[in-house]
Amino acid sequence: MAEPIVQIRELTKIYAQGEIQVTALDRISLDIAAGEFLALMGPSGSGKSTLLHIIAGVDRPTRGACLVQGVNVTRLNESELADWRNHNVGFIFQTFNLIPVLTAAENVELPLLLTRMGRAHRRRQVETALELVGLADRARHLPRQLSGGQEQRVAIARALVTDPALIVADEPTGNLDSHSAHEVLGVLQSLRQDAGKTIILVTHDPKAAAFGTRQIHLEKGELKE
Amino acid sequence: MTLATFILKNALRNQRRALLSISSVAVSLFLLVTLQVALRELTLPPASAGAELRVAVRNKISITTMLPARQRGVIEKIPGVAAVSPFTLFWGKFRNEEGLSFAQIAMDPTKLQSLFGEARMDAVSYTRFAATKDACVLGKITADKYHLNIGDLITLESTVFPGSLSFHIAGIYSGTPDDRNMLFRQDYLDESIGQPGYVGMWWLKVKSAADMAPVVKAINAGFENTSAEVRAESERNFQLSFMSMLGNIKTLIASLCAVVVFTLVLVSASTMSMAVRERFRELAILKALGFRRRELFAFILAESFGLAAAGAIVGIGGTWLLYSHTAALAVILALTTAAFFILAVRHVLRKEYLPLTIYLVSALILADWTAWFAAHPSVLAMTRGVFISFEVTPRIMGCTALVAALLGIVCAVAPALSVARMSVVNGLKTLD
Repeated sequence: MAEPIVQIRELTKIYAQGEIQVTALDRISLDIAAGEFLALMGPSGSGKSTLLHIIAGVDRPTRGACLVQGVNVTRLNESELADWRNHNVGFIFQTFNLIPVLTAAENVELPLLLTRMGRAHRRRQVETALELVGLADRARHLPRQLSGGQEQRVAIARALVTDPALIVADEPTGNLDSHSAHEVLGVLQSLRQDAGKTIILVTHDPKAAAFGTRQIHLEKGELKE
Repeated sequence: MTLATFILKNALRNQRRALLSISSVAVSLFLLVTLQVALRELTLPPASAGAELRVAVRNKISITTMLPARQRGVIEKIPGVAAVSPFTLFWGKFRNEEGLSFAQIAMDPTKLQSLFGEARMDAVSYTRFAATKDACVLGKITADKYHLNIGDLITLESTVFPGSLSFHIAGIYSGTPDDRNMLFRQDYLDESIGQPGYVGMWWLKVKSAADMAPVVKAINAGFENTSAEVRAESERNFQLSFMSMLGNIKTLIASLCAVVVFTLVLVSASTMSMAVRERFRELAILKALGFRRRELFAFILAESFGLAAAGAIVGIGGTWLLYSHTAALAVILALTTAAFFILAVRHVLRKEYLPLTIYLVSALILADWTAWFAAHPSVLAMTRGVFISFEVTPRIMGCTALVAALLGIVCAVAPALSVARMSVVNGLKTLD
């Protein structure tokens, strides 16, 4: 196995809902190698999205450690975590979540506004990202002028525009027809193969999971590899 | 794209709401400026070039209690006094009007120039005023208001002295801060009421600013323990003491200003909170992409501030045009009317009758306003001489702009706090 990019040790997440405590993740340990396309599967409520959120630095565990590229993200403060996310993780969501008033190119450019990159450099990065997902000709289109599959590909371009080593995708094909889903998964696969990105994909769909190099299952917060 | 573009696009994403928010801020600030201007009109004594050298002397008991005419000789002998004149208010009604529309003051015509040197009137009028017993001089505002000219006869019925008096207009003056008053001869009044030997007040001029305090002191001391003790004070202080009688009106207007600001804050804060609440999911995405709390706060603040600033430009600018540059407002309205007519013509060609009707009706209304503002190119003209200093000063504009700026900041605080408290995961949950 290649050098792990993600190292999870004894990770536990407990949600308190009033007096009831729900264990979403129960002492999970997991390594994800650099350049791996990991498909994280499991039924609803199994904890797969929670695990994804902790790896991506948008949620904190109750106990345990999560090291991404050697950085223990659980120990970063709010501001450090935001900065870390901007440089190290690309997010893809089920509902695309593009900003409706911005064009495709502007949506892709959003994460770059936080960097010190000049305007011309940013424009080149955006063009490259849109070319990678095959949407260079749709740069000036608003999200409402794109199909679902195209919107998701714009979201992929936004996720990879800062050139992060890790891309996390939370059911990215959940709202797409099979043809568009196939296209999106193909783009993710080529990102791993051609650009060496590490992809973590949360999905219910065995066909989508088949694009991964490894599949793991979560059930009631426990890992079943 | 820049951060500024991003903020602008967000602020204008719901154009109707943005327009309504800007309009509500603009209308409220328009009202706030109007109230401040009205307060200024009511409370600010007009500054006059010669006011710093003039002294008003009234009966210590009250302003309505007369003073003996013999006091004049005593006052004239006080060192530092340059000129003294009686100053008796006639309280006359003109042309059966209900109220007193302008002040009529009886005085010594030979002292007019030395007391009120800033008044502009030709030499012939001064001579005529001094030579004719029933002569009067009239301020230009009043003369214009009633279309009166030199030589016209006017009759006033006094509400305090018996009977009525007729006057020939000997001259029309201008250049004083309040060109509404009518001045006539004290000896004419004395003659008509049977030489009572009393005057309303004394108005005098000192030789230099250094003489003001000693003269005031000497006059007050000079009539102490007499049957008619006096209170002498500078013209400015006299006017301010008059204004203090308007205390309740000032409080009322100040309260109205506070209500306007408070309502504005509530409405704007609610609108801003709603606008941000609707975008919680997007703000969560921005957080996930790496935007920090302070950057999101800056976005919200800039948007809130921008809407308040746009409202301030429209509201304060509109008031400024209306009250201080009415002629310019008429030009702007004329251009807008022309633009609406052009748009109407375009819709005629396209046979689109609803927009045609809207543009045509709007153009007709605007044309009517334009004509009215062109015919009344100042607040003075609009109010027929009632308001003479109804203008938007830089201080009023500054104060109102400050209110708008604070509004922008205050309205951003609550939504910014809720966004800061929102975790990315909770924000993301609102997505699906």
